[in-house]
Amino acid sequence: MENILELKEVSKIYFAGGEELAALKQVSLQVQKGESLAIIGKSGSGKSTLMHILATLDRPTSGELLLDGKPTSKLGQDDLDRLRNEKFGFVFQQFFVNPRDNCLDNVIMPLVIRGVAADKRKKLGLEILETVGLTDRIKNRANDLSGGQKQRLCIARALIANPSVIFADEPTGNLDSENGQLVIGLLFKLQKEQGITLIMVTHDHDLSAMCNRSIKIKDGQIVGGNQ
Amino acid sequence: MRAMDILQTAQTNMLHAKLRSSLTVIAVFIGALTISLTNGVGNGVKSYVNKQLGNVGIKDTLIVQAKQDRGAAFTGDIKEYNPDKQVGQFNIILMSSTDSTKMKTFTGVKDVTPQLVVQVAYITAGDKKFEMTANQYVDGLNLELAAGQLLGSGSKDGILLPVAYVTPLGFASAGEAVGKKVTLGFTNALGKIVETEATVVGVQQKSLLSAGGVSISRTLAATINAQQGGAQPQMKDKYLAFTVTYDPSFSTKQVTALKKQFDAAGYKAQTIEDQLGTVNSIINSILIALNLFGAIALLAASFGIVNTLLMAVNERTREIGLMKALGAHRRNIFAIFALEAVGIGFWGALLGVLVSMGIGTAFSNYASSAFLKDFVGFKLLTFPLLPSVEIMLLIMGIAFVAGALPSLKASRLDPIDALRYE
Ligand SMILES: Nc1ncnc2c1ncn2[C@@H]1O[C@H](COP(=O)(O)OP(=O)(O)OP(=O)(O)O)[C@@H](O)[C@H]1O
Ligand SMILES: [Mg+2]
Repeated sequence: MENILELKEVSKIYFAGGEELAALKQVSLQVQKGESLAIIGKSGSGKSTLMHILATLDRPTSGELLLDGKPTSKLGQDDLDRLRNEKFGFVFQQFFVNPRDNCLDNVIMPLVIRGVAADKRKKLGLEILETVGLTDRIKNRANDLSGGQKQRLCIARALIANPSVIFADEPTGNLDSENGQLVIGLLFKLQKEQGITLIMVTHDHDLSAMCNRSIKIKDGQIVGGNQ
Repeated sequence: MRAMDILQTAQTNMLHAKLRSSLTVIAVFIGALTISLTNGVGNGVKSYVNKQLGNVGIKDTLIVQAKQDRGAAFTGDIKEYNPDKQVGQFNIILMSSTDSTKMKTFTGVKDVTPQLVVQVAYITAGDKKFEMTANQYVDGLNLELAAGQLLGSGSKDGILLPVAYVTPLGFASAGEAVGKKVTLGFTNALGKIVETEATVVGVQQKSLLSAGGVSISRTLAATINAQQGGAQPQMKDKYLAFTVTYDPSFSTKQVTALKKQFDAAGYKAQTIEDQLGTVNSIINSILIALNLFGAIALLAASFGIVNTLLMAVNERTREIGLMKALGAHRRNIFAIFALEAVGIGFWGALLGVLVSMGIGTAFSNYASSAFLKDFVGFKLLTFPLLPSVEIMLLIMGIAFVAGALPSLKASRLDPIDALRYE
């Protein structure tokens, strides 16, 4: 299997209040196409930082991120923006939705950014909302949805751009177990059916056990997991 | 992102904070209203002045006066007595036929006619006498007439009566007055009141050229002058001004050269356009002063825009972060916020211009029927399309500049910081 993402000795150092803080230390990692990978570890261990670097939201202080075997450090901001828009989908813990916009407008955001024509993105939006079971909420403001519904909306938004990788940072962290199951079921279904690579940050050991592979982070280093 | 979507997002954002946006729009509106009204007055007055200018009728004519030096009383600079210096009342420097002979030698000068100073005490068409000022008619001057015709150069006792005299003198209408005889009374050199007859050839509307007085023919002016100043030895052959006609084929450059020649010889030569141009430049400076108020209002509004947008950026930090995470370019984010600022400018300016058009036109119509009634064709405020569009573009430009800083701030937000932002 080829690697879709690869980290080579990546470090991330934050400078805060005159002190250096190494959030990641010489991390090397390979992510295969179509696999599901869980990143686990204590709070503050560097999980989110790792995910942000994998997703090109953040640049490493040293080391290199390769995408489909190609280094990304030479890419300009415009290329990175385009890459994220076309290849990546995001699901965050705090259900980042635009509360005042309706569900359809929220879900088509990546397509608006990509510059897809209005009628086409609407059609895709309606399809994807059906996939996550929100067809009856199309015109509702995102703010009026329950937590579980909001997270399904975020998954729909992550899916609409037809991504190769979905990044999920504690996607069930703010959900009750029932809604959590629903969201997780949906993510794994997509990963299996559409061959999407799933990279998930989680505290939940049951959840990490469901992934093909998990890595454990401690103090900015990979200290194990089940490879 | 598509331009349409950027515009749409900007507008949606503006509408999401209705109260805040509308307050800022009001601030812009006040500035736009002030500027648009001021320019409305400017356009109205200037278009009237220019209409008059285009209509002056006399071409190739200069009005020439002696250059005045300010007396010792003003400057404290005591000058030696000069018997050749010809001075009249209030030490105004006068000219004589020596001057006119000299002027005739200037290249291109065709004819030099003295403008006589006459003082008429009253005018009457029967029992009642009314005060009046008389001006010697400059041949060809195209005064606007309510009835009758202009004075020909051969006119003997013709006058052009201002329309305001029609009713007091007992004529039923302007048309009725034409051809009627009136009597002018003046004080002669011996201090006695003398009367002379005149014929109403035309009735003039009030305009910038008419200056309110009764225009009298050259012959009539000469008759009266001969018995007034002309009869006094010290005022004989003394003139305040000459009208000088020059070669009609002269180019603007040649006219300028001719004026310079007069200037070098100690005269001040002006075309009627120059004289009206002075009016224009006075109007312009008044307008600039008034526009300053508008500019101050707009400056205040600009800070309103900066403030509004900073609040909007703060409020939407997460949204911006999300958009950037999902692949929006920096310039997209900048454009969304900059367009929101321009949108505020647009609505404020549009409202300001429209309301000023409403108020201005209503007031202008009232003025035309009230205190500007006699100035036929004078619209105090006019709002041509182009200047109004220019005002709107200017204000939108100012709004853009005001919005640039907050927009830049938004475009520079780090998506991670923005997403962590609570
Ligand atoms: N912008 C920043 N400036 C300074 N330090 C930062 C910054 N971002 C993260 N850190 C630090 O880097 C370390 C790793 O943070 P990170 O968010 O990756 O942890 P995490 O494993 O995701 O924790 P959690 O489970 O609580 O989300 C922490 O010590 C954090 O304080
Ligand atoms: Mg985290």
